[in-house]
Amino acid sequence: MKLRDTVITIFVILWLAVFNYESIHRYYLEPWLKRPLPKMKLLFPPAGWIMFYNVEDDYGYAQIYGVNVDGVQEIDPHEILATRTIGFDNIHRNVLLVVFGEAMPGQVCRFLERKFPEFDNFLITAAQYPSLTQTPHKKLQRVLYQCKEK
Amino acid sequence: MNKIWHTLFLEERPSVSLSLFRIAVAITVGAHVIPTLWNLPDNYYATALKTFNFDFFPVQLIELVQRSSDQTVLFFVIVFYVFWFFFLIGLFSRLSCILMTLAGYYFYALNSLHVGTLSWDILLVTLFLMCLTPYHGDYFSVDAVRRGDAGSYKRKRPFFLQRLLQIQIASTFFYTALYKITGTGNWISGNPIYYLMNYPPAGVTKWFLLRDFFMDKPGLCYAAGLLILIIEISMPVLLFWRRTRMSAIYVGCFFHLVLILTLDVPAIFFFLFPPQLLLFINPENIVRWIEQKRRANAQAPQSQLIYDGHCQFCRRSVQQLQVMDLFHTLKMVDFQSTSHLEALHPELSKERCASQLHLLEPDRTLYGGFAVFRRLCLILPMLYPFILLFYFPGSGIVGPFVYRWVAQNRYLFHFNKTCKDNACFLGHGK
Repeated sequence: MKLRDTVITIFVILWLAVFNYESIHRYYLEPWLKRPLPKMKLLFPPAGWIMFYNVEDDYGYAQIYGVNVDGVQEIDPHEILATRTIGFDNIHRNVLLVVFGEAMPGQVCRFLERKFPEFDNFLITAAQYPSLTQTPHKKLQRVLYQCKEK
Repeated sequence: MNKIWHTLFLEERPSVSLSLFRIAVAITVGAHVIPTLWNLPDNYYATALKTFNFDFFPVQLIELVQRSSDQTVLFFVIVFYVFWFFFLIGLFSRLSCILMTLAGYYFYALNSLHVGTLSWDILLVTLFLMCLTPYHGDYFSVDAVRRGDAGSYKRKRPFFLQRLLQIQIASTFFYTALYKITGTGNWISGNPIYYLMNYPPAGVTKWFLLRDFFMDKPGLCYAAGLLILIIEISMPVLLFWRRTRMSAIYVGCFFHLVLILTLDVPAIFFFLFPPQLLLFINPENIVRWIEQKRRANAQAPQSQLIYDGHCQFCRRSVQQLQVMDLFHTLKMVDFQSTSHLEALHPELSKERCASQLHLLEPDRTLYGGFAVFRRLCLILPMLYPFILLFYFPGSGIVGPFVYRWVAQNRYLFHFNKTCKDNACFLGHGK
């Protein structure tokens, strides 16, 4: 019994120490000590429990257009990332932002070409609302890249 | 100090809460991962659109996983499905938990695009603790039925893992609030709820009933934000202080209900967090409540299950039903050792009882054969999941056929050498 209690005590102390360290290391300990600290891989959210901690007045998302002889048309993002989730809409969670990743264009284009062979080209655009409360109808949009450069 | 530490982490309490929590965790994992498995070419095969979480995984591990062929992916899909289901029903509960979690890690490393959310990272912390727990299959599980121990719901087990799960959920509330008000968090300097209410249709905010009302009321939104902060930051105290515990559980559950109704956030928040809050209910109290109900039911008129005591298969089934009968609503009656069956019900006879199982309810209604299992589904909590199956359209036609075949061959389902040719059927076997 004593051995069992000792093992449990050691585990609990270690667990609580790591749990709290991982909870604050990215946003509190690293800025405070002004140096990067080791991160335990494979467990705990990498940046801590940062749910909706910063919500700004602007909003941006990705819109993808297919181009063919008939013209340009927007592709429903639900058709692009067709995985249906339970209880929420992954597209509204802005999962399509993945197409903006630096190393992504090649992979994105191959993916789109496989899924939508009816299009000859794809335009990947960024849509941005600069202020949701001040100018709710002002939406800026620009093409970030296209799959086949002219 | 020693006493407090002992109460917090070292004492033993019934594991019934963790057994129930296991089901909630399994549902959460399934709801999150399974939809991604329905579209393997888009999500996990070589043709998938992939992102990798290098903050979470070592580079070498991601590189290793990326070498998977489509067949390897398929293998892990099967592993996940099998052990997820085993974990859900509590079959080899701990091993299933470990293998299901490993498969979950595999898919996360393979492609974090859909699976890799913050809430999934949180769920993995919970799963890690569940993998360490050897007793979440103590009750509400096939393991419990296999063991045949009717008292397993009250078996005492080390409490520290449940305590760590409590600390995890309380800390999550606290740290979430802390991030909102310090550093780059803007819940004091800005008005996040107001912004969320004004998100465009493509955004994360759902079109719920009161959204239009909140959209042009920044003051009200800010006040709501402050209220959320106050609740979140005080959650650890509210949850661990006995006097406020139940209110805190209600508030926490309400909070996550509102979250799923208003925002497109992963349903993990809804499926996992409320059950995790329920872990704050002392399992001793749950067992006390169960015992109270058992005592009351034992004194009240009970439904009587009339079975064949000469059939080992039937005896084993009855023993398993006793494990499932959490509230002791059934009285088991062996017709072979009951002389006046007609006294129980005028329609009962030895021949009739030998042909099938019967259930005599306190209001004298008599059910026989497949209908007994339909009734038991409504009476025994562990059989609730079968309600859908046994009441599914058409089951009233197929069910009796299957039941009749099992009943007629029931002496073949055991190892009694004198009955191996089914000669004991109709009460001949002794």
